[in-house]
Amino acid sequence: MNWEWIWKVVFIVVTSLFALMSVLVTILGALDVKRLLQRLKDANDED
Amino acid sequence: MMNEAARQALSQTNFSTVDTIIVAVYLMLSLAIGLMVKRYAGSMENYIGAGRKVGTWLGIATMTGTELGLVTVMYSAQKGFTGGFAAFHVALIAGAGTLFVGLTGFVVGPLRQMEVLTIPEFYEKRFNKHVRVLGAVLLVLAGVMNMGLFLKVGSMFIIGMTGLASDGQTLQWVMIGLLVLVLVYTTLGGMISVVLTDYVQFAVLSFALLLVTGLSIRELGWQHIFDTVRHVHGDAGFDPTLEGTGFGWSYVFWMIIAVGFVGGAVWPTAVARALAMESVSSLRRQYCWSSISFAVRFLIPYFWGICALVFITASPAGRDLQVLFLPEDGSPPILENLYAMPVVLGRLLPPVLIGLVTAGMIAAFMSTHDSYFLTWSSVITQDIVAPLQRKPFPTESRVRLTRILIVLMGGYVLYWGLFYKGGEDIWDYMAVTGGIYFTGAFVVLMLGIYWKRTSTCGATLGLLSGLFMLLGLQPIQNAVGLRYVAANGEWVERLTSPQIGLLTVGLSIILTVVGSLLVPGSAATNASNEEANT
Repeated sequence: MNWEWIWKVVFIVVTSLFALMSVLVTILGALDVKRLLQRLKDANDED
Repeated sequence: MMNEAARQALSQTNFSTVDTIIVAVYLMLSLAIGLMVKRYAGSMENYIGAGRKVGTWLGIATMTGTELGLVTVMYSAQKGFTGGFAAFHVALIAGAGTLFVGLTGFVVGPLRQMEVLTIPEFYEKRFNKHVRVLGAVLLVLAGVMNMGLFLKVGSMFIIGMTGLASDGQTLQWVMIGLLVLVLVYTTLGGMISVVLTDYVQFAVLSFALLLVTGLSIRELGWQHIFDTVRHVHGDAGFDPTLEGTGFGWSYVFWMIIAVGFVGGAVWPTAVARALAMESVSSLRRQYCWSSISFAVRFLIPYFWGICALVFITASPAGRDLQVLFLPEDGSPPILENLYAMPVVLGRLLPPVLIGLVTAGMIAAFMSTHDSYFLTWSSVITQDIVAPLQRKPFPTESRVRLTRILIVLMGGYVLYWGLFYKGGEDIWDYMAVTGGIYFTGAFVVLMLGIYWKRTSTCGATLGLLSGLFMLLGLQPIQNAVGLRYVAANGEWVERLTSPQIGLLTVGLSIILTVVGSLLVPGSAATNASNEEANT
């Protein structure tokens, strides 16, 4: 089995997917933060 | 204590005043977040579960923020440094295991449906209060031991990157400084501040990881990195199934359990994130996406460790480091190999980027610590103290007790970091200490959820069998003769830690099944089991 070739492919595929995920999570996560704080604020106001 | 050559080598970092300012601003921002959200941390549900209002994308960020800690980066870099590309198999297993959990909802789906806040709470719903307390005691014992070396390892990173004068005193002061910082903002804001700082950490660290990796490849050369690993390690630097090289089949199987299944589905800090999600479907989405970061949290640090090896052994700029880390005359290294990655990054990265990476890593360090402190202290409060109380245990008292426990654990971590004398790789130490809990819990959770006949007796025996894992710790192996010095002066292991881990899992399965068949559960137990399965 050519392990060197396998690890090269694994490294390139995983880091590329991570780059894509980083962009998505940074943008959409910011919206989630906004929503979370609003919900906690609403719950706090109700108490 | 370090000699002059080591101090000299450490001082050649690119870390500058601008980087110190970047780190200071970043840390103040984290503290400000802790203070800002303090007002929302009043109820226990908010304090330890962020009110179960975390959305998918924030959930992915916080899961990554917790699991991609500085300690992970350090021990993985160490593994890459010593094992080469063969270590990559652990990253692959971590990603595949987490994806499996995401696609199937394995263990975490039923737990979230039952709306429990902690794993021991499931034990009480499924079995009884005694199993809950026993499970919690084992969980805390293993969890607290597991994080025992975090502070020391984190401090070593800062010393290596920044070039702080490195003697025993400096390490202690850096450890104390980091600890105080973590304790302040964790005790203030609970899970809400943890989730928010995890998000900031994700945003900074994910791009820093990619940037540093790209820069390292540019400096060292893509093919040159592979060629050097082959030159230093031979086939063992690529093939994880080769025995006698630190890996081998028993190691691979042990990783499938410890990293593949346990890392995502049973390890309480990951499960705590899952249980804070707003729904089961967002939980499963969170796991599917997080499978990428679960792989990356090992893969990129392994690669950094490999780059450190290449820089030290095959780069003219790293010539002075070879004598410190890998002396050619076979004498013992002057510096622990944990320092290799931060020292090399300190030379490879330019100012500003080095500041951002250090700040991101300190944030990663804090986020792992706060999660661990919060998880273990809330388990003590919710699953040991509260069930044993005869009188009502009000929310304010629970939050107060949790905060006190966090501070006490901080004291323990400082003590353990200074005095533990084991010589194993940090990753192997963590797999063994974590195994005290997860070998039993993995089996009891899995069978408790998916096998109707699992009884209280079987669960108790299964959980207790995890203690067998203590035999995997080097000081204990030496004491009981599992590891000894042969006539030729070399250390010999009768059983390796991965073999002990696999035996413990097997023992736990046998005891849980036999205990359940010999002493079956009551009708009430079976009824709650059906609830867990729906």
